[in-house]
Amino acid sequence: MEQLLTANIASSMYWLGRYLQRLEGMLFEINRAYDLIIDVDNKAGTALYKKFNINLKYVSAADFLHKAIRGKHTANLGEMMLQARENAIISRAYIDSVAFGEIIALNDMFQTLQTKRSHIDGNDLDKALSLILIIWGAHAHRGHRKSSDYFFKLGKLVEEVDLRLRLDKEKAMTELILKEINVAIKMLNPELNIFDNCPKEYIDELPYAMMECIYATIDKLIIEE
Amino acid sequence: MLEKSTKLHKKFWDIFAQQDRHKIDEFQSYMDKFAVNFNLYKDGNFIEQSLPFDIIPRIISKKEFSKIEKGLIQRVTALNLFLEDLYTDAKIVKDGIIPKEFIESASGFLKEFVGFSPSKKVRTHINGIDLVKDSSDDEWVILEDNLRVPSGASYPLSIRDTYRKIYPDFFENLKIEPIKNYPKIITDSMEYVSTGGINVVLTPGRFNSAYYEHSYLAQEIGAQLVRAHELVVIDKKVYFKNYNGKKIRVGSIYKRLDDEFLDPKFFNPDSLIGVPGLVEAYLAGNVALLNAIGNGVSDDKGIYYFVPKMIEYYLNEKPILKNAPTYLPYFKEDMDYVMDNMEKLVIKDVAEAGGYGVLFGHALTAIQIKDLKATIKAEPRRFIAQELIEFYDEKCYLDRKLQDRKADFRAYVVMGEDVKVWNCGLTRYALQEGNYLVNSSQGGGFKDTWVMEL
Repeated sequence: MEQLLTANIASSMYWLGRYLQRLEGMLFEINRAYDLIIDVDNKAGTALYKKFNINLKYVSAADFLHKAIRGKHTANLGEMMLQARENAIISRAYIDSVAFGEIIALNDMFQTLQTKRSHIDGNDLDKALSLILIIWGAHAHRGHRKSSDYFFKLGKLVEEVDLRLRLDKEKAMTELILKEINVAIKMLNPELNIFDNCPKEYIDELPYAMMECIYATIDKLIIEE
Repeated sequence: MLEKSTKLHKKFWDIFAQQDRHKIDEFQSYMDKFAVNFNLYKDGNFIEQSLPFDIIPRIISKKEFSKIEKGLIQRVTALNLFLEDLYTDAKIVKDGIIPKEFIESASGFLKEFVGFSPSKKVRTHINGIDLVKDSSDDEWVILEDNLRVPSGASYPLSIRDTYRKIYPDFFENLKIEPIKNYPKIITDSMEYVSTGGINVVLTPGRFNSAYYEHSYLAQEIGAQLVRAHELVVIDKKVYFKNYNGKKIRVGSIYKRLDDEFLDPKFFNPDSLIGVPGLVEAYLAGNVALLNAIGNGVSDDKGIYYFVPKMIEYYLNEKPILKNAPTYLPYFKEDMDYVMDNMEKLVIKDVAEAGGYGVLFGHALTAIQIKDLKATIKAEPRRFIAQELIEFYDEKCYLDRKLQDRKADFRAYVVMGEDVKVWNCGLTRYALQEGNYLVNSSQGGGFKDTWVMEL
């Protein structure tokens, strides 16, 4: 498993995992809200974006999709994808080539969605989700043998926890993912554990502040000089 | 003008005719997907663009390539001997083959390195030699030697990989020399000169024009891709900084930046992309640099003039490949010729590269000619003049039709324990019809080069 890796690459792999997972998580949530807006709860989109401190206004389900995907706000998916691409380019030597190609394709798709005049529909979300599944799959077949793969995995897991904590998702699953994070961290540095020096109430109640414990551990994991 | 079609070309076109043309779009999208980019700064903006490519390969017969190969091995061997001599005994100067002041005025000559001999006396590790095929006599002619940081080898590797995926028929049915050995040749060279430790590729970073290539090659040769601050020099030894704080000794650095930016303690103090102390480690013999510092002298277009003489001087052989007929205004006789014939000559600034500083006499106005003559008279060492070589066009599939474009060929020659010529190279073509400038930085595209036999 020992693999030489600069802090820059380790960090890029970690952030690549985070941005892709953020994109996937957002697409799932947008899809769910879109479905609700159509004929169940037309405020579902507003409620979702409130969790990200974004005041999203829309007049219909289709308008919600447009605003969610290409609106000028901090959760703009095109911007998110550009960040993912940037990290992929920096660390491309460590990424499965199929996964790299699909990241570029996914970015092209999102940049097109940012500019095209035609309506964005649910099919676009499905296409994007399919590409993300290919990326995870292509990368997973490497078998997580190297440090770079663990950083990628770590980023994915950390982002999953981030979204779950923001959206107050079921605690048991979040705890499970936290354990997985610890496994990934231990593979990279057996002396580190996210629960060390983490306040007990954070571990018990899992507030969003739990992220601070994770970040403190990652700061010790990737030593930037 | 196109080269006369051979049986090899016919074999290619026979298979090409049976291929689905729609797959060309697939080819483009495959190349785009893998971000085969060449980055540019234009008007202060960073532009990331796909390098234009063409799917019709240049075809060179194995027999013809074999002659090129011999000529290139001879040339690079002589150039390596020249550099080693120049920076140690300078016999070639003492024997009057090259004027002393000519060397001393070469911007790439670094007198601080006189007396230093690098690991295994190898200086010209990875070289890009630019050639064209002269339509007047069907001979290959050397246009330029790039012995500092020649780029471009990753592009034919990428296009070949794509070709094999989209159009396997060619490779199943034709005898095309495989090219996957390039990373191995580079690794062998790095290992040969290594002073002990890991191999790294030193890149200026993500926004360099050839970052794609740096990353691709690092992956292929199994070396770490590093930026300057990811290396540290301690006690004149170079170390790689691992993410966990460990420091790993570096034995060989494939540097992808110019000498002047390599070490802010030694060269340009403002360089943010250099490694402080690297030159000291190099001079102490504790790390190998590919290519050697100071090679810029041989990239000087004025020094190019002397390469055939170097071959005779060091190897006692006649040059196998010829130079383009070149004149040095530095010499009176040549100056007179240049002044009398400027309209038909190509004038080059000796210190420029990438197609910059090249002027075609036939394209200049009378006033421009007059100004240029005055500049050359004032600074004769700064220019060379060459006869315009009418080199062959290559067929290109552009805008969904076959068109002819001027094309050169960059061959890659790698020196380690011995000298090897890669069975491929970068064929670059001009985007506009009739244009002689094919450089990527001038908007030129690239195509694969197939060394084939019947």
